[in-house]
Amino acid sequence: MSISLFYFVAFLSIFFALLVIFAKNPVHSVLYLIVTFFTFTIHYILLNAQFLAIVNFIVYMGAIMVLFLFVLMLLNLNESQGTSKSAIVKMIGVIAGMCLVITLVGSLKALHVSDPLVLQTQDLGLVKNLGKVLFSKFLLPFEVSSLLLLSAMVGAVLLAKKDIKQA
Amino acid sequence: MSSLITLSILAILVLYLGLYKAKNALLPATLLGLAGALVLAVLEWNGGAQPIYSGMMLFDNFAIAFTTICIFSTMLILLISKDYFESISEHVAEYYTLILFSLAGILVMVSYHNLTMLFIGVEIMSVSLYILAGIRKDDFKSNEAALKYFLMGAFSTGFLLFGITLLYGATGTFDLTQIRDYVIANPTGISPLFYTGITLLIIGLCFKVGAAPFHFWTPDVYEGSPTLITAFMSTVVKTAGFAAFLRLFLMCFAPLHDFWMPALLVISLLTLFVGNVTALYQHSFKRMLAFSSISHVGYMLFAIVALGVNSSNSVFIYATAYSIASIVAFAVLILVKRQTGADNFDSFNGLAKKNPFIAFTLTVAMLSLAGIPLTAGFIGKFMMFSTALAEYHIWLVILAVLNAVIGIFYYLRVIVAMYFKGAERNEIQSSSYFNFVLGFSALITVVIGVYPGFISSLF
Repeated sequence: MSISLFYFVAFLSIFFALLVIFAKNPVHSVLYLIVTFFTFTIHYILLNAQFLAIVNFIVYMGAIMVLFLFVLMLLNLNESQGTSKSAIVKMIGVIAGMCLVITLVGSLKALHVSDPLVLQTQDLGLVKNLGKVLFSKFLLPFEVSSLLLLSAMVGAVLLAKKDIKQA
Repeated sequence: MSSLITLSILAILVLYLGLYKAKNALLPATLLGLAGALVLAVLEWNGGAQPIYSGMMLFDNFAIAFTTICIFSTMLILLISKDYFESISEHVAEYYTLILFSLAGILVMVSYHNLTMLFIGVEIMSVSLYILAGIRKDDFKSNEAALKYFLMGAFSTGFLLFGITLLYGATGTFDLTQIRDYVIANPTGISPLFYTGITLLIIGLCFKVGAAPFHFWTPDVYEGSPTLITAFMSTVVKTAGFAAFLRLFLMCFAPLHDFWMPALLVISLLTLFVGNVTALYQHSFKRMLAFSSISHVGYMLFAIVALGVNSSNSVFIYATAYSIASIVAFAVLILVKRQTGADNFDSFNGLAKKNPFIAFTLTVAMLSLAGIPLTAGFIGKFMMFSTALAEYHIWLVILAVLNAVIGIFYYLRVIVAMYFKGAERNEIQSSSYFNFVLGFSALITVVIGVYPGFISSLF
């Protein structure tokens, strides 16, 4: 049951991801991206990773995608824009795409079924266990990232604040 | 570890000093704090370092040496920041804070023992730099530099993170020692994921140090950022990037030398040619320095291509020589630009007549960057080339010597402009801070060039 559910959700992910690139209207594209992220959330739940699922749901689907939509609406992109490409650009695109295909085929040849990875602890992704690891083994990275947030905050205020012009 | 804590507290302290309008205390407090961090770092030398905090950091001699040179270069750069930030806006305390945060990230980058720390260190450094590149809010070029740096940096971080993830997928650990054990324990059956991970890490790190073909952001960002920030980016940040690069490869990937060596060899040669040949055609001194910094990345990559026991030593000396000479070049550029308002080669015309001291120090710096004997740059290049020759990369060295000759040509253009081209100009008024930094750096350059023994046998 869980395997067939996985394949169904995986199919949906790929399907909507393709729609993201093929949609002509950028707003539709973003909406499909939201659906794609939602299928990722289901994947995380299937993997018993609650925390990742929640973070993915709130941050990616909620915050970042809303930001995305806002920017698109501010830019006011039309369908007609960005579709005319010169022949050289198309040629380069074809060559680059072919290189990618060759690489993918080459890596598919090296592909083999790996040993099934059995998790030592089934409920590794639960919030409780994650918190425990974060505050024991990964305490230092956790604390040091406060520097990252603080510097980003100082910078955001610095760049956004209006300078008082000296007379 | 104590120097990292000192730096973090210092940064917050400087922020508070700015809040209470203690303008005059900012620079002395910052310099004092940096000196304290420097002393604390040096005290741990040969302390028999063990990985600390569940194997997150390791303050071995490698980390301490690079911490020292990074803090020292930052001190020199901050000494010439007197009156510089004031001309941009009145938020001087925040600028110092961001530089200190960036330095704290650099400290994490040179002493990590776990890939998560590498990632966080790179991010702390980069985020502060994105902001520092754009602090001239009214200047279009500065905005462009910040945006370009941010987009490119975020993009390259993606590669870095993906590489780290794949390494974790293959080995099940972020710890450098355990990754090395995995490589040694499976000489034949290394997972393809691991190789992909190495490749992505190389791409990410090459982006960060600005090696060709991942160098496209470098000239625009270096040219658009305020000159002092450019000095910081092209010296301290580059040194830290190389230290992180070298640490990872020395500790983990050395047994897989045959896999990644050809790729890095090509990158190194490409970087040399792109940097040097493009630098020839520049009219702006600042842009020339940006391309010359790309070409120096090529020389420094030699140490990783010919990875061995001497690698850390040669990168250390090269980075020291390059940083100190670049600081002189950028300091003189700040002075000249303040007077003439332009940064092309012509604005250096006739400098030797009016300011013989400044012209002399810039000459020493240029000779050092070009790698003329009796300067630190020569010792650095000598160590790099002998490292490469020890691994029988004869063609690499021949092509590198060819590039060094190209390099001499464009470095000499400045000297020719200063000494042999006359122009009507006034004497540049430089403060005692500037004179100290210029004289001291020139002195160190010559001392290392004449007597390299005292730093060449550290490791």
